[in-house]
Amino acid sequence: MTDTTATSLAAAGAAARGASPGARLWRETWRQREFRFGLIVILLLVAASILVPLLTGIDPGKMQIKNKYLPPIFLPGGDWTHILGTDHLGRDLFVRSLIGLQYALGISFTTVLLMFFFGSAVGLISGYFGKVVDALLMRLTDAQLSIPLIILAITLLTVSRPTVPLIIFVLAVSGWPVYARVARGVTLSERNKEYVRAAHILGASHWRIILTMIAPNILPPIAFVAVLDLARMMIFEAILGFMSIGVQPPTPTFGNIIADGRKYLINAWWIATMPGAFLLLALLSINLMGASLERARNKLFSGQI
Amino acid sequence: MLDVAGLSVELARETESRVILDEVSFSVPERGLIGIVGESGAGKTVLGRALTGWVPEPLRQTAGSVSIDGRVLTTLKPEELRQIRGRTIGYIGSDPGTSFDPTIPIGVQIAQKLRAVVPGTSRDAAKKRVLDLLDQVRIPSAARRFDEYPYQFSGGMLQRAAIVDALVAKPKILICDNITQPLDVTIAAQIVRLLRGLERDLATAIVFFTASIPVAKELIDDLLVLEKGRIIERGGIGAVIAKPVSPHTKRLIDSSPRIWGQNVDVPRPAPAKEAKSEPLLLVADVVKTYRVPDRTRFTGTLDVKAVRGVTLEIRPGENVGLVGESGCGKSTLSRLLSWIEEPDAGRIVFQGKDMASLRGKERLAMRRRFQLLLQDPYNCLPPHLSVARTIRTSLDIHGVKGAEARDKVRAVMHEVGLKDEDAERLPIGMSAGQRQRVNIARALVLEPTLLILDETLSSLDPAEQSRLIDLFERLQVKHGLTYLVISHDLALVRKVCNRVAVMYLGKIVENAGNAQIFDQPSNPYTRALLSAVPVLDKGPFNPAECLVEGEPPSPINVPTGCSFASRCPKAQDLCRTDEPAFTPLGDGRGGVACHFPFV
Repeated sequence: MTDTTATSLAAAGAAARGASPGARLWRETWRQREFRFGLIVILLLVAASILVPLLTGIDPGKMQIKNKYLPPIFLPGGDWTHILGTDHLGRDLFVRSLIGLQYALGISFTTVLLMFFFGSAVGLISGYFGKVVDALLMRLTDAQLSIPLIILAITLLTVSRPTVPLIIFVLAVSGWPVYARVARGVTLSERNKEYVRAAHILGASHWRIILTMIAPNILPPIAFVAVLDLARMMIFEAILGFMSIGVQPPTPTFGNIIADGRKYLINAWWIATMPGAFLLLALLSINLMGASLERARNKLFSGQI
Repeated sequence: MLDVAGLSVELARETESRVILDEVSFSVPERGLIGIVGESGAGKTVLGRALTGWVPEPLRQTAGSVSIDGRVLTTLKPEELRQIRGRTIGYIGSDPGTSFDPTIPIGVQIAQKLRAVVPGTSRDAAKKRVLDLLDQVRIPSAARRFDEYPYQFSGGMLQRAAIVDALVAKPKILICDNITQPLDVTIAAQIVRLLRGLERDLATAIVFFTASIPVAKELIDDLLVLEKGRIIERGGIGAVIAKPVSPHTKRLIDSSPRIWGQNVDVPRPAPAKEAKSEPLLLVADVVKTYRVPDRTRFTGTLDVKAVRGVTLEIRPGENVGLVGESGCGKSTLSRLLSWIEEPDAGRIVFQGKDMASLRGKERLAMRRRFQLLLQDPYNCLPPHLSVARTIRTSLDIHGVKGAEARDKVRAVMHEVGLKDEDAERLPIGMSAGQRQRVNIARALVLEPTLLILDETLSSLDPAEQSRLIDLFERLQVKHGLTYLVISHDLALVRKVCNRVAVMYLGKIVENAGNAQIFDQPSNPYTRALLSAVPVLDKGPFNPAECLVEGEPPSPINVPTGCSFASRCPKAQDLCRTDEPAFTPLGDGRGGVACHFPFV
């Protein structure tokens, strides 16, 4: 039965044959509407965050007390010069949020990349070599896991100036052990598989096996989880900003925009809400892209494309 | 009693719908042994489950009925169906490992089942019944094993426990779906003998599904042949084998393994001129012991003596077979020979060079000359690489690059019978045979001189198997390859190997030429092994005379004396105290490790 199912699936994929698996994966991903939607939105957001301040010439730090508490355009009293309204000092919320988004995206992206690569590398090495290497590396991750993010962040970011690289460092340092744990677990089961043994028999070195055999099979599923972690890191970045140990004013970040707007929630709710709306849009489009890629990959490895 | 009338079952998925069973009709009398034979994919498992009223999604019963004692299963309420399952009808699947709860002792869970199916059974009565049955299926020291967990049972013992599980509520019909398939030949022969006894003693009707006509012949009276969901042949087993009506049955019979008698395929003779040359591979007194944690104590380890001193010589151009039951150390030996593990003691000399003395580049270069082909065509290919990339990887490892590598990949793909358009396919969706070809190509592209085939052909169906044997023969002629065939499939070894080494519990107990091993084996174990192989023609060895009940001893507690003494009909006191040494028999009859060999 498995055989016949396999052949019928193969027949379905016959049209796509000839192109390399990677090319088929991209073709299938691109074919999905969600992926294109997500890509367009995220590109628009990034482009806007760079272009809008340049084109409109609005300075995110410029205060206009006479224009304070201006509501967004869709509320009565809104004004086209400040599409999303202004805060308690009359600063433009659209531009401020866009710049906040730049920081949020940049910091969370770099952090997740660092955590993913460092954590997975530790996990792969630990799971593959086992024994002493495993014991040492896993005790290291345990030690790291026992230090809560908030304590670490408060200590490091109050002692020295909270710069962007330092924030990324703090977030990544407290995040990588999870990746190491997961990668190690999957590696443990993967390294005993026949195809890994087959590579040994062919004479492949350990590094070749880890990099070309095990990693390509275990990392993609972990990467899809990492996409979800982007959201978590953006929120952490906002929390740090809210506690005023994030990127410091006058640079607008989601955290300090919300912290400023907190006091005016009753009268000017939009101040604290706008960063959230941008966060929502960005995360939605990233997750849509991740999910499309995952779907395409599942199709590829079930022989449907 | 059990009546199947015009049963049709369909596989209905969103994308496809396919007929699995097509108007199957037959009936099972009060007693008797009915065999249903079909190749994989013929619908055996679906039919077996349908007999118990189990047709799960996405399967759909489109016509016909299954009735037991006149009650149609599909019209019954779930409670009534539950009563029938277990009490009237018992089912045993092919994988005993998954049919027990790993967290509850075997005896306890069977007793629980009995009390669930037959309410009102007292705890003690249930236990007594289970113990009786465990005795009856000849599980040694049943009282102790009652409280043991599934992981403590070997495959054969677990299958016996599964039979107890099915029989415990005294069903009138026992359905056995391919139950001997995962077992070793000697164990399978014991199970078949056991089922025959049970049918006699317990007056149960048995419906036995199998892919192998010889196995069916050992056991059953009436035969049904299933092909693509249709019954194409029925009759007494003797009559069908003697005079099959349908061409499919004839093909099944013809493709059954043949070891003795006329029309047996024998291998081409090994090149004679090289018989005296230096051996290609020399294995001398190789030992491998694994250390495993002792589960019964908090600390401490146990020594598993997987390979206990193996000596073997392979000459260029000669095909050597290595046979033995599972757990005898074949796979460990193959790992040692392919140098993915190093032996604890002994030497492995390849083309005059001791592998242990080679390091780094030299060892890598030597490794290119011998390649091991693994057993499982489904898992031995990296799932994320296309066929061409997989083959390329071999060359990458050994530093062949660029256009040269590309040409070699293409050439080798043609050689093993893969097409150009297969190059970018992933292993998923390829048939077992195609995958095995990729596997062969991956090794062959390195231009090896020795290929070790570790059960490489075992999982393929007979037609694909014979195509690959042809391929191996062609490659041998063209490239002057030497094969070491490691297998439990004696018919295959009979067909392709010039010389055969028989392994038992980590040692080689007999090593002789093909004809010698199969026609006049010297070691009682070789005879036991051969007697257990199900064949259509009557074999020269009678299982009842050659094999005593029981399983191979554990490699953790290797008994003193001859390791086969516990199962050997010829064993005497000497065998239980002194271990026989491997001695040549002279006259080119090979050698044997036995105190009282047949001569």
